[in-house]
Amino acid sequence: MKIKGKKPAVADVDMTPMIDIVFQLIAFFMVITNFEQIQADERVKLPSDSLAKPPEVKAADELVLNIGFDRNAAGEITDPEAYIFYNGEQIPVLKFGPKFEQEARIYKQKNQDPKDVPVILRADALVKTGLVQDLIKLAQENGFTKFAFKATQKIE
Amino acid sequence: MKLRNSGREAEKIEPQMAPMIDVVFQLLIFFMLTLNIVEPEGDFNVNMPITNSSEASDEPLLQTDIKVRLIANEDGSLNNIRVGQNNLGNGPNVFAGLNNEILLYIIKPGSAISKDMEVELEADYNLHYEYTLKAVSACTGRLDPSGKHIVRYIEKIKFAPPVGRPTEGS
Repeated sequence: MKIKGKKPAVADVDMTPMIDIVFQLIAFFMVITNFEQIQADERVKLPSDSLAKPPEVKAADELVLNIGFDRNAAGEITDPEAYIFYNGEQIPVLKFGPKFEQEARIYKQKNQDPKDVPVILRADALVKTGLVQDLIKLAQENGFTKFAFKATQKIE
Repeated sequence: MKLRNSGREAEKIEPQMAPMIDVVFQLLIFFMLTLNIVEPEGDFNVNMPITNSSEASDEPLLQTDIKVRLIANEDGSLNNIRVGQNNLGNGPNVFAGLNNEILLYIIKPGSAISKDMEVELEADYNLHYEYTLKAVSACTGRLDPSGKHIVRYIEKIKFAPPVGRPTEGS
């Protein structure tokens, strides 16, 4: 009987399939990650509608307003007053006028007419309609005329 | 000069895999952590030029305007939808009903009169925004049976001042 004289060879794990899969995963995550700064606030629970289609052309500049409530971890509303979540601040909806004024001034400095800048309203499903209308009115007073209501796309 | 022994098999060079795998795993973890799943969101565009309320009242009300009245309960849920003089109630199919009602007005999607028509939504102040949005959606159109394309009904939507605004300070 012949006995191998060599040391037992180190079992070499074949790395190729694993690397293949890992690259696939990286490619997948790279593709679906969007680094785009979306100004969405997770406290806002948008209403859903099957007709809500993502816009085909995205405006270069837009003013996104998140209107929602203070919610606890379970998602229950803790404060019946609706706020606008704006740059980390919480502003009651009806006190947003000065901020519109400020935004309008910034757009004018950039040589843009506020009238061409769409105001994207991401309002919570439970916000009062009248409050949203009041907000639109405040925006109009500062020269904004284009509005868009956001809703999540409901797939039935 | 020493020549390589061509008879011997060229030695296979093993690339160092370990550092690459390290980096690749780092990348993988980075992308996994930065991933945030966002539900697809869509827009309803509404153009609202600035009008003075005094001017608006002088303007004769066009025949082509459809008035949709949204009436709320105390708690902000929907009580009734009224189109012209028709009460549609608040059942689960009320928005489909509103959609049909609008179709009756415009006769056929894309017809010439639908271009001039306007829907005026008049909602109670405390009505929850989701119902208003659904009403806007029901007026703008419906999905075709394949569910891919939108059949447009009326593009022009306007809002009447809200009804039943709470008085200041309350």
